[in-house]
Amino acid sequence: MNNHSNISNSLNNTTTSTSPQDLGLHFLEMARLGLPRGLCDMDEDEDSPTELNTINSSGGFLLVTPDKLSVKYTNVNLHGHDVGVVQANKPAPVKRLVYYFEIHVKDAGAKGQIAIGFTTESFKMRRQPGWEPNSCGYHGDDGLLYRGLGKKEPFGPTYTSGDTVGAGINYASQEFFFTKNGIVVGAVEKDMKGPLFPTIAVHSQNEEVQVNFGQKPFAFDLKLFEAQERMKQQTTIEKLSLPSNVSYRIVRSYLQHYGYEDTLSAFDMACKSTVPPIYIAQENGFDEQDIMYALNQRKTLRQLIRKGEIDAALGKLSEWYPQIVQDEKSATCFLLHCQKFIELVRVGALEEAVKYGRNQLGKFYGLPGFQDLVQDSVALLAYEQPQESPVGYLLEDTQREIVADTVNAMVLSTNPNVKNLQGCLHPYLEQLLRQLTACCLVRRSLNGDQGEAFQLHRVLNSIKKSKC
Amino acid sequence: MSLFWIVIRQFAENEAMATSKKVITREEWEKKLNDVKIRKEDMNKLVMNFLVTEGYVDAAEKFRMESGAEPEIDLATITDRMAVKKAVQCGNVEDAIEKVNDLNPEILDTNPQLFFHLQQQRLIELIRNGKVEEALEFAQEELAPRGEENQSFLEELERTVALLAFEDVSNCPVRDLLDISQRLKTASEVNAAILTSQSHEKDPKLPSLLKMLMWAQDQLDEKAAYPRINDLSTAMLEDPPV
Repeated sequence: MNNHSNISNSLNNTTTSTSPQDLGLHFLEMARLGLPRGLCDMDEDEDSPTELNTINSSGGFLLVTPDKLSVKYTNVNLHGHDVGVVQANKPAPVKRLVYYFEIHVKDAGAKGQIAIGFTTESFKMRRQPGWEPNSCGYHGDDGLLYRGLGKKEPFGPTYTSGDTVGAGINYASQEFFFTKNGIVVGAVEKDMKGPLFPTIAVHSQNEEVQVNFGQKPFAFDLKLFEAQERMKQQTTIEKLSLPSNVSYRIVRSYLQHYGYEDTLSAFDMACKSTVPPIYIAQENGFDEQDIMYALNQRKTLRQLIRKGEIDAALGKLSEWYPQIVQDEKSATCFLLHCQKFIELVRVGALEEAVKYGRNQLGKFYGLPGFQDLVQDSVALLAYEQPQESPVGYLLEDTQREIVADTVNAMVLSTNPNVKNLQGCLHPYLEQLLRQLTACCLVRRSLNGDQGEAFQLHRVLNSIKKSKC
Repeated sequence: MSLFWIVIRQFAENEAMATSKKVITREEWEKKLNDVKIRKEDMNKLVMNFLVTEGYVDAAEKFRMESGAEPEIDLATITDRMAVKKAVQCGNVEDAIEKVNDLNPEILDTNPQLFFHLQQQRLIELIRNGKVEEALEFAQEELAPRGEENQSFLEELERTVALLAFEDVSNCPVRDLLDISQRLKTASEVNAAILTSQSHEKDPKLPSLLKMLMWAQDQLDEKAAYPRINDLSTAMLEDPPV
């Protein structure tokens, strides 16, 4: 691991600014995260079924309409191997809490032998879902649930013309569930491995069924169901107990980490006057001194940068921590100069901005890792209203905050007692949230990618939802 | 494939799954952690949500200035809420009830249980202060009619009145009612009701997320050995057992 001597090396080493030792490089990435394209909801973009698969269906027994969303049994059924079965064009997506689709029975035909369920890719396309291994189906004529090899069990009501029936996979509980006219009929263990295809079957003359893969509103309130499922999990989680005052400590260390000194003292004051008082400070001991390191200077630097007074911040830095700004090609210097340039554009001092850019940003142009940010910054000049432009994100407060965070981390790293450089970059809160996210992602990948990922964003936005 | 072989194969698969836990080294794990991007804005929101929900109005105001994070509700409402909470914590229940009604009369109208608990707390305070006659009168006039409406209220009332039966309450079976924790319980109930009336969640998000972390680690333990964080307050990554 990195120790102190490494750190001072990296800080004094003026020649290799792009070595992995340059802590500031981490923040270049954060600066990019501000971009819309950096937004990382990468995971839920799985393909979903959109229509019926007309190639792999039991041709001859059924007719699929040109929109590929309806089927009709056109034959006369004679035995158990002339079922009209059709799968969706894509398997059910798995990286989510629930997958769900519905059918509407337009005509129950001669016998109402309609089925809805899930099958694997190799399913025999002449049989009802549920009659064969690795398939599962809820049948309309008897209301039974079939799950392979002649296994059938009493399940729900029968269904017929005019009914809307749904089938879903609950990845959290590992169950299939079925609905009739918007109400859950029941659930069974999901004992087959995917990919699983939504499947429907018709098996007597004139049976006609329409399928809805979500293009139209469902009869079933899926959003509510998902919320209830999340709540179930939440209830289990809420039963766990936390060490006392741990949230206070984490909030406190967050405020210390980023040098939010005024908030910290207001928080400490308030903690002391609550009933019963919460004393956190003295329990941390040695650690405390470390994290209090240069608190006031860090606060001042942050204030200057947040106000856009970059020259003043640079001045204070070279006075207090010359080693941080010594390397002109470090990520920290780059971000500061870049911000100065942005501030000039903000106030409309374009000529000065051009001059400043040539002097200070030009040298970063060819450097990998810097180039795109230089380009974006310079692009601000091209717009009459830079705020509205695609690079408008650079003018937002979050960008100043990133620069302030960079400087803050660099100052923290000058602490001779620092044991772990990662600790300068990431407050405990962030380390915990990263651990939480990683645990959820790894668990999901060990579970065949099934289920929804943890996203801090979603958790936070549920605050907003509950407001309205 | 016959059923027999399917069963045998399934059995073997289960066996393999039970014995071979995936081992994730520290290096691999740190790489995964580095791939997770947490936005500063989101962390600021989380901290602001904590300060607001827990009622640290000064800290929330300072945090807004220092970090630029916007609070989810008007900070002025926190002051009112905290005044109510404080009044209950100090035993000034009558004052608290008045303040709640000033804030929003619907809160107590729509929460009979909360109203009962506040009245019960008022009774407890009267008994604590040795005002026996006043306590009895209050119990009969204000609390007994509510007890008739609701069995659990009646039981609570009886338990509270039992305080009067003991000369030395410090040793009686219902002494917990006189404990500071009873006031805190009532105070947090009022606090939650006010937050709910302001369409705000009654608990901060941060503790839930910490619990979720504990839960997620336990869940992953079943499938893998990996570096865990056992001490939440230091976020220290501990190597997996070999």
